[in-house]
Amino acid sequence: MDKPNANRSNILLVKLDDFVRWAESSSLWPLSMGLACCAIEMMATAASRFDIARFGMELFRPSPRQADLMIVAGRLSLKMAPVIRRLYEQMAEPKWVVSMGACASTSGVFSSYALVNGCDKVVPVDVYVPGCPPNPELLLDGLIKLQEKIRHGKPR
Amino acid sequence: MNGEIITIENVEQFINRLEENTGTSDAQDMDVRAEPSALPKLAELLNKTSALNYNYLSDITAVDCLGRSPRFEIVYRLYSIPANRRLWIRTQIDADAELPTVSHIWQNADWLEREVYDMFGIKFAGHPDLRRILTPTPWIGHPLRKDHPLGGEEVQFTFNTGDIIPQEEFLSEHLEGMDFASYVENGDKIESEAGAGRLAKLAEEGKLIVNMGPQHPSTHGVLRVILALEGENIYDVGMDIGYVHTGIEKTSESLIYQQALTLTDRIDYVAPIANNLAWSLAVEKLLGLDIPERAQFARVILAELTRIASHLVWLGTSALDIGAVTPFLYTFREREMLLDIFELASGQRMMTSYINIGGLRYDIPDGFAEAVKHFIDIFPEKLDEYHKLLTKNPIWIERTRGIGALSLKDALNCGASGPVLRASGLAWDVRKVWPYSSYERFEFDVPTGKYGDVYDRYLVRMEEMRQSLRIVEQAVNNLPGGAWRVEDYKLALPPRDKLDKSMEALIHHFLVSTEGFPVPSGDAYIPTEGPRGETGFYIVSDGGAKPYRARMRSASFSTLQSLPIMARGHMVADMAAILGSIDMIMGEVDR
Repeated sequence: MDKPNANRSNILLVKLDDFVRWAESSSLWPLSMGLACCAIEMMATAASRFDIARFGMELFRPSPRQADLMIVAGRLSLKMAPVIRRLYEQMAEPKWVVSMGACASTSGVFSSYALVNGCDKVVPVDVYVPGCPPNPELLLDGLIKLQEKIRHGKPR
Repeated sequence: MNGEIITIENVEQFINRLEENTGTSDAQDMDVRAEPSALPKLAELLNKTSALNYNYLSDITAVDCLGRSPRFEIVYRLYSIPANRRLWIRTQIDADAELPTVSHIWQNADWLEREVYDMFGIKFAGHPDLRRILTPTPWIGHPLRKDHPLGGEEVQFTFNTGDIIPQEEFLSEHLEGMDFASYVENGDKIESEAGAGRLAKLAEEGKLIVNMGPQHPSTHGVLRVILALEGENIYDVGMDIGYVHTGIEKTSESLIYQQALTLTDRIDYVAPIANNLAWSLAVEKLLGLDIPERAQFARVILAELTRIASHLVWLGTSALDIGAVTPFLYTFREREMLLDIFELASGQRMMTSYINIGGLRYDIPDGFAEAVKHFIDIFPEKLDEYHKLLTKNPIWIERTRGIGALSLKDALNCGASGPVLRASGLAWDVRKVWPYSSYERFEFDVPTGKYGDVYDRYLVRMEEMRQSLRIVEQAVNNLPGGAWRVEDYKLALPPRDKLDKSMEALIHHFLVSTEGFPVPSGDAYIPTEGPRGETGFYIVSDGGAKPYRARMRSASFSTLQSLPIMARGHMVADMAAILGSIDMIMGEVDR
């Protein structure tokens, strides 16, 4: 007796946009770029205890060409600002930016001539994560928020 | 001899007298003044005279005494490592005068003098490459001068709405020939041209110039390394730093001592507690405080656990850089246990500010000793596990043995300290030579290497973790009870329960929290052994509640300058191994 081929007879009916967004949100590839303290917590997020792989993001790419998520992890100095802009421009569309920690968002506890107070002056930010530095849980929460945002649709 | 002024005429006499008195306790720790013109000869004689042998330049820094003439005071701190002596040389100079360089005698003076030039605008005659080092190339002004504004943007409240100058405007005013937006657009090109420095000329000789960083996974932060290559071999190396320059030294001047302590956490962010300790010790020296024994032991426990945590980050990431992925997952597993201990004590995983001026911020909580003992129980086994993964691994040996060798002479000449210096064969550890915070009461060994290559640095750090564990074990088993903070409520916050009963305690609490406490005028520096080497703060007080000048002697800043010596002649792929073995933290280099 022939068994019906289960794979062949099932149909998945979704809107293409929703499908694409689901796919994009489920395998974000972050740029492995660390600026300061927050980068250490970002590494902890990627390591064994917090395991960012649970959310499809374990593939930190050193090259901006292969990444679609920039996590600005740490204080952004004036000298670094052009580099961040260049890296953002080198990333392929679609791309997202998470501002991790107080310094990246507002320059945090520092208020000085050397820092840009907010990486949103240089690159467009999707999610701000508070904390100095944010716990890995907090960063993961921010990244889940970003996934939700992507699934709800980013205007293109 | 202390306090005498050395001029070009009496420099030789001074050296002769110094030679005669080398054995006396007077000569152990000296503080002299010198005229700028006497400096080159003095430096050369101190370095070359074999009986003196001041072979190690710890730091060069400056203080801006605005309103005084001459305006700047430059401070040189020299060590004679073989004889275990320290010497401070102070010299005074006006803004438009030039100081002779000492970079041909001690190699790490190269960057130290460039930093003084960048921050204070003091020129060094004869310096081979005097240009900005931390601030962007088109920057106008010298930030650590007292008449340079702090910058930054004020927090907006109802009373100052409309008065706040947006930070972009401030930055635009301080960039020569461009504004903030155009710097963001073109700064990358400007900095990479300026950063190449002397290496730019090598391109004409047919060398290939390759840029590595500031965005590169193996630069451990934002360091720009410029390589001049001959085929696959490294011919020469240049470095460009300042990509995470935060202006912490300038910011500290506007904060009271306890507030500035929280910034020190963020300088070397892999070992924040070690920085808290160094800062507290320097301020406590100015205040003349005696710290209760319980606090001293707790400080030792925390500082050593921090060293282990820092070395675990180094081990995980440096192995990851040359292809060993597994250790990273293992080391971070154990590091999380340490962060849990820090969180237990202070409520924060990383930026604890737990070691505080006068003792600790809170008493050691219940369960702390048990948590530490549990870690002591399990960690030796884990350390063996790392050894199993790497020490005899043929690929690891191939990638690290004989790579990036640094001779002891070069290491000292570059001002390297900590594991890098010890791997080159010298058992020099500040905890042993100038003990602080009761380190003299603990037994531990100082591991050393033989060849000073990447493999030796690896073995030294691995053994250091075991020795740190020994110290922690002794400290936690003999942890005394009693006070955990000085009971002088003009300096330290009174305990919470006193606030309900005593008006005086309430007033002290209010004053210490809001206005801080005056610190007697003078200057102080206490060297400590951080995970990366000699770490310490040079604090100048004018008698107020805020530091007049706070300078950090960062270990990475000097050690990193030995990179070209380590890398020349090796393959490009070895750069990752060499950079990993230096274990620099860019936050500490750039501050």
